Amino acid sequence: MVYVATVRSPSARGSIRSIRFPRLPAGYRSILPADIPGRNRIQSFGAEVPILAHDKVSYAGEPVALIAGPDPVLLEELAAATKVTCDEEEPYLNWESFSSDQVAVKRVAVVGDPDLAFSIAASVFEESYTSGAIEHYYSEPQGAAAAYDYDKIAVWSATQWPYHVRDSVALALGCRAEEVSVRPTRLGVHLDGKLWYPSLLACHAAIASIACGRPAKIVLTREEDFRFSPKRARSSVNVRAALGSSGLLSAMDVRIAINVGAYGPLAEEIVSQAVLACTGAYACPNLRVEGYAVVTNTLPAGAFGGLGASHSLFAVEAHANRMAAAAGEDPADWKSRNVLRKGSPLLTGEPMGEEVPYEAILSSLAAASDYRRKYACYELVRKRRSGRSDGPLRGIGLSFAYQGAGPFLSGDASNSYTVEATLDKDLKVRILTSAAGGAGLVMDVWRQSAAQILGVEIESVSIAVPDTDQVPDSGPSTLSRNVSVINRLVVRACEAVQKRRFRDPLPLTARSVYRVPKPIKWEGGQVSGSPFDTAAWAGAVVEVELDSWTMEPKPLGIWLCVDGGQVVSPERAAASLRSGVADALGACLCERFSPSEAAAPGSAYFRYGLLPLQALPPISIAFLPQGRRAPVKGIGELPFDTVPAAFLSALSQAADSSFSCLPVPYARIFGALETP
Amino acid sequence: MTISLILNGEDVSAKVRSVDRLADLLRDTFHLIGLRSDCRCGRCGRCLVFLDGRLVPSCIIPAFAARGKEVVTIEGYAQTEDYADVKAGFADAGVSTCGFCEESKIMAAGALLERRPRPTPREILEQMSSAPCRCTDPDAIVKAVLAASDRRARRLYRRAGQ
Repeated sequence: MVYVATVRSPSARGSIRSIRFPRLPAGYRSILPADIPGRNRIQSFGAEVPILAHDKVSYAGEPVALIAGPDPVLLEELAAATKVTCDEEEPYLNWESFSSDQVAVKRVAVVGDPDLAFSIAASVFEESYTSGAIEHYYSEPQGAAAAYDYDKIAVWSATQWPYHVRDSVALALGCRAEEVSVRPTRLGVHLDGKLWYPSLLACHAAIASIACGRPAKIVLTREEDFRFSPKRARSSVNVRAALGSSGLLSAMDVRIAINVGAYGPLAEEIVSQAVLACTGAYACPNLRVEGYAVVTNTLPAGAFGGLGASHSLFAVEAHANRMAAAAGEDPADWKSRNVLRKGSPLLTGEPMGEEVPYEAILSSLAAASDYRRKYACYELVRKRRSGRSDGPLRGIGLSFAYQGAGPFLSGDASNSYTVEATLDKDLKVRILTSAAGGAGLVMDVWRQSAAQILGVEIESVSIAVPDTDQVPDSGPSTLSRNVSVINRLVVRACEAVQKRRFRDPLPLTARSVYRVPKPIKWEGGQVSGSPFDTAAWAGAVVEVELDSWTMEPKPLGIWLCVDGGQVVSPERAAASLRSGVADALGACLCERFSPSEAAAPGSAYFRYGLLPLQALPPISIAFLPQGRRAPVKGIGELPFDTVPAAFLSALSQAADSSFSCLPVPYARIFGALETP
Repeated sequence: MTISLILNGEDVSAKVRSVDRLADLLRDTFHLIGLRSDCRCGRCGRCLVFLDGRLVPSCIIPAFAARGKEVVTIEGYAQTEDYADVKAGFADAGVSTCGFCEESKIMAAGALLERRPRPTPREILEQMSSAPCRCTDPDAIVKAVLAASDRRARRLYRRAGQ
């Protein structure tokens, strides 16, 4: 077997002038773009990413060549000794204010007459909210292996999207897709960080394997992964909102800029989701929203625990809390007045199909956290406080959001998806789907659905290993799609088997295919279609205290109440949500870095880390009771949609200042409290 | 150089270079793949082993430093009664891990119980932070270690009474 090391670009933007390898020992070889037998491109949601940068480089650390050989330690030294020279150009690093050259995707939607509504509004509030980059910090670093297996090339990859790996490798090798077999390996916690990047590494391994005529393996070290793999995109959301004389939200003007880094591999999906979620859980009759995916010469950036909605949900929730506080009102009451009702029109013109359980969630949260009393007390203390030594510096914040679940909104992902179910002679059920690799706890939902329909024990239902030779293409595996789309396909396939069960002999196999019912269409300022199939709702309360000496925010408690439809295993769902809350809180408190610094060796990597477990406050999770006939909904993204806004509001109340970015720099908290 | 060590209870010897790390020696020479060497700087906790009874990240220990010492990896630890207690404690509390961090968490819990047979929740959380992972449910991990502590105490009590 040979190992593969990556030679990377030293420049953020420029043209490659030369690549000088050191003298390679026998058994080692270099691989350049010219050695790629097929196309030097990976396609992702309409964007294209080079497998090895050819003439131009677009971010520091971009792969420009590979070295393959038997000793990984020597390979590291050879890759470090390779000199890449570039004619450097001024990189695009600005993204909050950007040029038209940097816009990868633009989405615009206009509803009603926002100009008129703003002109007659009783009050108008405007603020910009920014959220930072987050490292996925997966359970294991990314990697891939490739080898010939008789007449096929076999690829081992920890990926959320095996068929994307297969198609990318086939394109790179210039062979038919059927000649590539992808055998996914264990995935762990991926937080949507293994959507397209594993395909790039799989291409590197496959090309090296072909070039050397031996099995090839590439595994990034954790530092290499941190420095060069995609991160969560940074965003800046400017919200201008008007209130009518009755205190109802009458108009919004929202401008969203999302820094998708170089190439913007998920740009179309992320910006579409962010635009469609721009009013959050609230009804707004007049709206103008512009969403931009901005390309910069930094690491490609994209999804993190969801594909873009969390950027908007954070901003609109923080803004709702800000508007309520400015009016001297409890945010819970403001939200109660403005929350979506059944039948309220969504951004696409579709009516809200179900009742929004805001009051039930609020009453559960208020009872558990004592939210209303604490909010009133902390407001009183805040208004009467004369300095930072005067009383406890505490605050409490509330947020309310949803997780929409449905098909992808952007072009090339809206293909048909397939799931197959087989009932064997011994009454064992096998579910075949390529989404199984990243499904985690959702696989229990699939197994229970199949067991219920076919009347077998849940232990008799197995989910096949998602080898592309064995399972049909079910699209990418993400938290929300696994529940809405894939579970529905499992149900349909099992129902089809059940219909034939007592007429035809066993074994019986049925396939179910999903096609997007009402795809989202963007035409001019109009958007139509269904933004999601189902929505899970959640509210979060976060209580924070500032240390009176260090000004360090210390969370005192987090309460999350979820309307997640039918919850198959409440204990496991609660455990999953608790770890999600811990991650969301870590992103608010300590997971901070700049992707442009991340590529530099050392410091950013060594500074970055997860929130220590002992710094976590008690986390309470509650589910609204549901009947057995309630639909199954995706809930895994809800902590990332709710906790940041509640944390920011709590921190703002504690420090008696208006913060609008996450994570908040300590210097800014300190500065806010120093100012009389 | 050739070094001798006691690995999971057996006397073994191996040729090592000065640049080799203990984690690489264990994985590549002895094929003990229960540990991983991801970060290579002692932060991720995927390579924890007992070196003369002390829990250490083997990716930052030079291989030659294990000369004449006793090394226990998860494969060796899995043969002990302490391991059985911790594993059962994890099962009692319904701990569900991503599959990559479980071995390190078990080793970390075992080391804590050896040092503090009745740990407080804070001590447990501090110790488990040595194996950081996004899959960790703090409530479940505290319950698991406390359950393991109970099992261990019962076992030692029974043994003392025999």
